[in-house]
Formats: sequence, C-alpha cells, structure tokens
Amino acid sequence: MSLAQRISRAPEAIAGITILICLMLVALSAPLLFPGDPLAISGTPLLRPFVDATHWLGTDRLGRDVLAGVVHGARTSLLVGLVSAAAAIVLGSVVGTLAGFAGGLLDELLMRVTDAFQTVPGFLMALAFVSTIGPSLMVVVTAIALASWTAPARLVRAEVLSIRERDYVASARAIGMHPLKIAFREILPNALPPVLGLSAIIVAGAILTEAALSFLGLGDPNRVTWGGMIAEGRAVLRSAPFLSIIPGVALVLTVLGVYLAGEGLVEATSRRSRA
Amino acid sequence: MMMIHAVSRRRFLAGSSLLLASGAMLKFGFAQSAPQRGGQLIVAADSEPRNLNPAIVASNGVFFIASKVVEPLAEASFEGPDGLAPRLAVSWSGADDGLSATFKLREGVTWHDGAPFTSQDVAFSAMNLWKPLQNLGRTIFKDLEAVDTPDDLTAVFRFSQPTPFQLIRNALPAVTSVVPKHIYEEGDIASNPANLQPVGTGPFKFAEHRPGEYYRLVRNDAYWADDLPQLDEIIYRVLADRAAAAGALEAEEIQLAAFSMVPLADLARIDQVDDIEIKPEGYEALTYQLVVEINHRRRELADLRVRQAIAHAIDTDFVVKTIFLGYASPATGPVPSNDPQFYTPDVPTYPFDVARANTLLDEAGYKRDANGTRFSLKLLPAPYFNETRQFGAYLRQALASVGIDAEIVNNDAAAHQKAVYTDHAFDLAVAPPVYRGDPAISTTILVQSDLPAGVPFSNQGGYSNPEMDALIAKAATTLDPGERVALYKQFQAMVKADLPLINVAEWGFITVARSSVQNIGNTPRWAVSNWADTWINT
Repeated sequence: MSLAQRISRAPEAIAGITILICLMLVALSAPLLFPGDPLAISGTPLLRPFVDATHWLGTDRLGRDVLAGVVHGARTSLLVGLVSAAAAIVLGSVVGTLAGFAGGLLDELLMRVTDAFQTVPGFLMALAFVSTIGPSLMVVVTAIALASWTAPARLVRAEVLSIRERDYVASARAIGMHPLKIAFREILPNALPPVLGLSAIIVAGAILTEAALSFLGLGDPNRVTWGGMIAEGRAVLRSAPFLSIIPGVALVLTVLGVYLAGEGLVEATSRRSRA
Repeated sequence: MMMIHAVSRRRFLAGSSLLLASGAMLKFGFAQSAPQRGGQLIVAADSEPRNLNPAIVASNGVFFIASKVVEPLAEASFEGPDGLAPRLAVSWSGADDGLSATFKLREGVTWHDGAPFTSQDVAFSAMNLWKPLQNLGRTIFKDLEAVDTPDDLTAVFRFSQPTPFQLIRNALPAVTSVVPKHIYEEGDIASNPANLQPVGTGPFKFAEHRPGEYYRLVRNDAYWADDLPQLDEIIYRVLADRAAAAGALEAEEIQLAAFSMVPLADLARIDQVDDIEIKPEGYEALTYQLVVEINHRRRELADLRVRQAIAHAIDTDFVVKTIFLGYASPATGPVPSNDPQFYTPDVPTYPFDVARANTLLDEAGYKRDANGTRFSLKLLPAPYFNETRQFGAYLRQALASVGIDAEIVNNDAAAHQKAVYTDHAFDLAVAPPVYRGDPAISTTILVQSDLPAGVPFSNQGGYSNPEMDALIAKAATTLDPGERVALYKQFQAMVKADLPLINVAEWGFITVARSSVQNIGNTPRWAVSNWADTWINT
C-alpha cells in the first residue's frame, strides 16, 4: 500500500490536509483576491459582518477590511510558522547530529548549550529577543526558531547515538569516508523521520507563538497578523466581538489543520514501518 | 404638513427632555443641598509611579494620587480670578520689574505629622526641589535666585532675570507642590522615604501602598478647610489592564475610572448601563495634543513643501471622528482652543487635500517611481495611548495616498523615548504633548533649537529657526501680560506657517463613574486636584 493510500484511509489526515491546502491557496492568492495594502482604510469603520457586499466580514475600528486582513494574515502566519519551524529543525538537526556523532567534549558542550536554552521557557525567550531587537518579520522568525530548536536537537542526537553503531556506518568508516560526510550523508537522513513527526507540533507552536507576540504588540506592525487583529479587536470586545473572533477562528483552524495533518502523516508512516 | 410634523416632534422631544431634566434637577438639587460626609471611594489606577513626590515629578500619573496629599500654592479653578483658587497661598502678586513675586500663605495649616506649615517650607521646596530637581520647575524657576521669608506667612521669590508673573501664576497649580522642610532637609532628597510615603498638608493622608494591589489614603481630620474633606478614605485599585476598568465599574468593584481608562470605543456601550455616568469635564487644563514630530535632518523633510504636503494629507476630521470617536477636536496650532488666555485661530491652515499634497510633493522634486513611491521613511508612534498608535496606523495610510512609504516602528515607552529624544532615530514620530496653561511651560520647548539630546518631549528633530528662537526668547522675558499674549499669538502663527511639527488634534480625557459619586469634574484639573469636596450619595 502506498503512502498516499494509507493517508487516504485516515480521515483526520484528510481533514488536516484539506484545511492546509485551502489555507495555502488562500495565502498564495491573497495579492490577487485583495490587491494593495490590506491595512488600507477602505470603508466605514465597524461595519458588521455579512451586511455589506464589499466588506463581507465587516471592517475594524479604522475601517480596514477584516476579510482582507484574515487572508493576508494567513500569509504571515504560514510564512512565519513554516520558515521558523524549518530553521528550528535544521539548526536542531545539525546540533543533534554533531553532538551524537562526535561524542565526548563536543557532545557535552552542545548538550549543555541545549540545556541552557531548554531551561528558559521558549515563549519568554522569544519575547525578550523581540523586545530587545525590535519587532520585524526576520526578528520574529529568528526568535521563534531560537525558542524551538532544542526538541529536534535532542531527538536527533538520541537517534544518531543508536544509528552510529550500525554496520553500514562502520563500513563507511572502513572505506575511509570523511566523518562529517558520514554524519550528514549516512546518519542524519536515517535519523530524520521521527523529527519530521515532531515538525507538525513545531509548526503549530510557531504559529501560536507568532500570534501571541503580535497580540502583545511585538509583531511586525507593517504586516497584518491574526494576533495583531485579535489584540486590536480586544478594545471593542464587548461591542464588536467579531473583530477578535474571526481571526481567532482562523488561527484555531490553521493550528488544527497542521496538527491533524502531522498526526495523520505520523500514523501513516508508522503503519508502513509496521507493515 | 412636514412643518407641523417637525414642530410636534420637536415639542414632544422638548417636553420629554424637560421632564427628564426636571427629574435630574430634583435629584441634583437634593444632592447639592446635602453633601454626605463619610464613605470610601474606590478608584482605578493604571500605573504605580516610582516616585510619588509631585515637587520632583510634576506629571499627571503622580498628581493623580499625590495631589490629595501634597498641596500646591494655588489650584486651577473655573470661577476664580486668573483661573485660580487659593490653596497654601491666600494671595500673590508680582513686582513691576519682574524681579520678585510675593506670596501670602495660609494661617493655621499643619503637616500630616503635626508640625506647623510655614514660609520656610515654601522656600525650601522652591530652592531645593522645584528649581533644581523638578521636570517643569527647572525651566520656570531657572532664574530664581532666592526665596526670602520675612515672616512665617510671607514668601518672596527673587529672580536674577525679569520673569513674567503671568507665567508663574499660570504654572502655580502644576509646579508648586510644597513638601515639608523638616522631613526633607536631612539626607539625599531623591532617596527620601517620603517620596514613596508622601507627607503633605492636603485633605487626605497617605496610609499605605501595596505594590500591585492598591494605594490607600485616609481623611486628614486636621485639614485647614473646615468640614472637608467629605470622604473617609480613597482607595486606588491597581488595574494594569485598561480593558478591566469597564467591567470593574459595572461590577461595582470600583466607583470611578479617570483618564479614559475605559477605552473610548467602550463608552457608547457603558453609557447605556444604569447608574454609570460619563463625564468629559475636569480635564480642561490638562489638554493633550496629537502631534506629528518631524526629523528635519532628513533632506526631504527639511523642505517646507514636503511638510505642507504631509499636513494636507491628514484628514483631521477622520482622526477626530474615527480614532477619537468624537472625543477630541481638530488642533489649529500649538495652543489648544480651550485655552482662555493665549489661543488664536488666526493662523495658516492646511485643509485635507490629497491633490494639493501631491502637487506640492511634485513641485519639491520628489516624483513617484514605478511603484508610485516618492520616498520612504520611518514612522514611530508613541506607545502611551491607544489613539497615538491608531493614528500611527492611519498616518501610514495617509502618507501612502500621496506616495510616501512609511514603515512603522513600534517600541515600548522607554525604547521610544530613547529612539526619538536621544538617538534621533526617526523620520516622523507621533507624540502626545500636554499643554499646561502657558506656552512657556511645556510648549515652546517643542520647537526651540539647541536643546541637548536626551531632553524628553522637546524639539529633538533638529529644527532650527533663528526667527522662532528670537520670538520665544523675547516672549520669555516680556513682562506685560498683554504684550506677552500678543507674542504667543505670533508664535502660534509662525509654528503653523513653518511647520516644525504638525498639530493634528487635541483632546481631554473622560471620567467614567458610578452615579453616586458627586462633584466630579468641577475644576479644570479635577482628576489631579485634591478631591476635598467629592462625596458619595448613598
């Protein structure tokens, strides 16, 4: 049974992947659907949803279109989520592979650094990082990556420790392969699958961290973010709750989609390894 | 037909409002005739100042709590001569040569620890705190040489340079908080424990402060005004989250939230709640202005036509109606229109006109590129108020409509002050300066040149105009009140003509309170006054 077939048997995976594909399509087509700056003031302030044909989801305190914000916000959320998760996994994998393969002093050193990062709560670290350097998209991505690379690092190291004793590694050594080549060509690819299972959680976590940072006013102010929209809606929560609810629902759907898709993938791959 | 209909409708409305008014009058009349003594007032506080000594830190955050404990020589008043009501001083006069000012002090006043209040305390406060340490006093009392105390109830201020008495008088409420000499004369003034546990002569004594929870003030039974204060206790409940104030008022956990702690966007809703009232009065002498600060070091912004274009690109009407929800008015210049002495509407204006703005920018030689952008700049909105941040977001859009690409940089309060007033790392900034009853107190400093870097809320945009500086210097030493007013009217026109900064709107704050709280907003600085006559109708 192929991977695609196995995935198609898991309803949660289908749901997750469908949500994600829709989101990606929306995010990619945002400039076509809503050309121009989504922060532009385009209508009467505080229009309610579903009363105005040009502003389906209404407008915010300044008259900015909520739907345009949600659609462009999907770009920011997915971009930050994917890029920072990728950066965290790459950084974590490199550190974990080096530590596990080299062992000895380097292992000790890298693991103590990992410990040091793990003792600080990830969100606090991202918060401190962004508030010192100043909020912009690159800084937010770096902050989230810095806050989440430790889990993949530990996982990869554990995998590497078991793989490096295998026969094919010994034979690679015997034919005189460069140690770094062995580490990254032979060992890392085999240590990755469990990390990819973790990736869904990292992406979901990154999206939530970005939203939380924006909610606290530490997102990039020149971009629409869902967290920022929720925060701005908070001042009128009692009189116009839709301003917070709509981006909130978008956030929940995205995180749910990422999580379900990730779960389904893990399930499917583990079924294959059992088979 | 239409006419009759309209009339009958109006008559109906008039009748019903008369009915309502009479009911309110009855209640109000009853309330007026019988103020009730006693009771506890619980107020929302949104900050816990690090120093509660108003003689050192003359800011609204400090006054909000400390003004009930520590009194000034005179307080602002709607009825009094020159807009003042006596407090620790009973009368005041300035010499014709501007070299001295004499204050007669109130008899029979005692400090909260029982010691008598004398002219020694005034002299000590002036020479050791107001002049060398206080943020505002430093400017106003810069030429103060000595304070003579011929007797216990007379203080004579002596100046080395002629100092307009009109300025001193206008500054009395904000800068002359008197602190006790016997408590401050020993040791370092800045680290005196009374800076956190203030001792004064006011209607309330400072009882305790629980960080993160509350401040408690209790009635001063030995207050100099007989039968005052009405309240037994004032509690300031610390509510760091502004959004919580409305809920706390509805739940009757607090009875009053001043300084627009209830967000403007929530006022329309909370106005519908029974027994909660919205009071815009009581901030007339605490007017804030919404201002665009300009960094004139940027080549583009040094061009007057570009500054005029930016002024034309701002839709003041939108700012007032949408950002301030009508709780503000357009600013015509650096002096707010509710100032009774100095304001003039007779200044150049820049009506909202995108086409004119575009023409001006074209004339200045900044053509649009392929993307429709003329040039880019950094915009730093001050983080202190929701409205300053929202205006930042609006200004970015307004600038985009004339081809200027503004990138918003958000900072927290400390980082914002450093970026704008020390490092000059901005092109445009949004600031909310306060007007304090006289342009010489905190307004001319916004456009005057040659100030050292690091002075907050001053001209750090590199604007330098010898004509403007000469006018400011002349007004600062002009003694005749009429002439002084004329010079400051000229100043307003010059600011509007040369646009060292752009004045957009002006606003006071809103108090929201339970209907039981009486005498709210009855002085122009009510929120930061002593609340001696405030009472609760049970």
